[in-house]
Amino acid sequence: MIKCVIWDIDNTLLSGVFLESPDQPPPADPDMVSVLAALSARGIIHAIASRNPPEAASYAAAVTGHEFAAAECGWGRKSDAIGSILGELGLASDAVAFVDDEAHERAEVSFALPDLLVLSPEDMADAVGWPAFGPAVVTPEARRRGTMYAQRRRRQAEARAFSGSREEFLRSCATAIVIAAARPQDVARLHELSARTHQFNSTGEQVSEASLSALIGSAGQRVITVRLADRFGDDGMVGGCVIDVGGGAWTVTLLMMSCRAIGRGVIDVLLAWLAGAAARDGAATLTVGCLISDRNVPLRLALAGAGFRTRQVAAVGVPSALFSTQLFSKQLSGPPPALPAWVSTPDPS
Amino acid sequence: MSSRAGRLVIDQVRQILAEVTGRAELAAIPSQTPLFGPGVGLDSLAGTLLLRQVRDRFGVDVAAEDLNLDALATVATLTAFIEERTGEAEPDGPDRAPGTGGAGP
Repeated sequence: MIKCVIWDIDNTLLSGVFLESPDQPPPADPDMVSVLAALSARGIIHAIASRNPPEAASYAAAVTGHEFAAAECGWGRKSDAIGSILGELGLASDAVAFVDDEAHERAEVSFALPDLLVLSPEDMADAVGWPAFGPAVVTPEARRRGTMYAQRRRRQAEARAFSGSREEFLRSCATAIVIAAARPQDVARLHELSARTHQFNSTGEQVSEASLSALIGSAGQRVITVRLADRFGDDGMVGGCVIDVGGGAWTVTLLMMSCRAIGRGVIDVLLAWLAGAAARDGAATLTVGCLISDRNVPLRLALAGAGFRTRQVAAVGVPSALFSTQLFSKQLSGPPPALPAWVSTPDPS
Repeated sequence: MSSRAGRLVIDQVRQILAEVTGRAELAAIPSQTPLFGPGVGLDSLAGTLLLRQVRDRFGVDVAAEDLNLDALATVATLTAFIEERTGEAEPDGPDRAPGTGGAGP
């Protein structure tokens, strides 16, 4: 599923070359403006990689009327510019398409980033109808995605200029995290999170809305939502989890978090809340079942940092556990980990 | 040769740590300081970048081999883990923490 399209400017977003007519740069390409609008309505975000001065990106944003979540303008390799954008937006290369009218640029990017979908502007006009560009469900969170990435750029710029600790920065941002029981109207977004999250996803499997609805109503199961906001904007529901609470132990069978929450302490807060809530419920152990894959290493790092361990140990040099599900557990003796003051939990646990 | 290579690995690990966290002072971190502890506070974003750099520079895929990521306990444990797999281990070297490496029994 494509989450972001990275655009060239000259003869792609614009009907001409920006620097060839400095007094009156060319207008936007009307076909590409329609594509931008169609994709934005589906929650797909946009970025720019262009051999131009930075003002070309502001100009392209103004004449197309669209917001670009990231822009890399310069004269280096396009694949390097795209690599920077992937890092900034926290995206994997197989979730991104690149559109450029120059065949040699497309070839360079295809060679360096073989997972990336590389298209000419003509192909892009057709590709709007491809399944890779058509998510089954478009939630309010998805439609606001472009705006949220712009908020994220402002937040990251302030974070770079901030001299205190990460906790002090999160407090200065008026960060607010709400952990609550899922309601029936939350299933569309929970399903979307199961389909779209990878780096913080414990199973790597989509969960249908029907399954989620059934879990919300079942005894012995708890479905939890996590919402995130700060003074830069409201990210809505960024995560969730499903917990099997039967038999005196808590086992998290699904844990998922959007990459837009990365670096904002949300996964750590959720793991700390789970430990506290499980202990209050009388559980002696909290377990998270986690698929071992090369995509969700960030989740395993969060589990390791929070003190979860698995007994399964892979042999030296043999990654035999790849694509198996391992149980990562934490003993709940001692006082539960403290939650930051900006976390609220409206439901009794 | 092995002694020099051993120091090179630990210096490179410290350098990578400083780069991925954006904190230059970590290039001089003591080898036994816990990376997940309050002083460093390695989060999942910096940790992911660290593991990627280790894989690219040394050809060692820590995440695939070490399910608990014990190798990330300290700079010393990560260095030992890398050296065991690249054949640059120096069994009695000063930078090697005893009984670590995260490779299991």
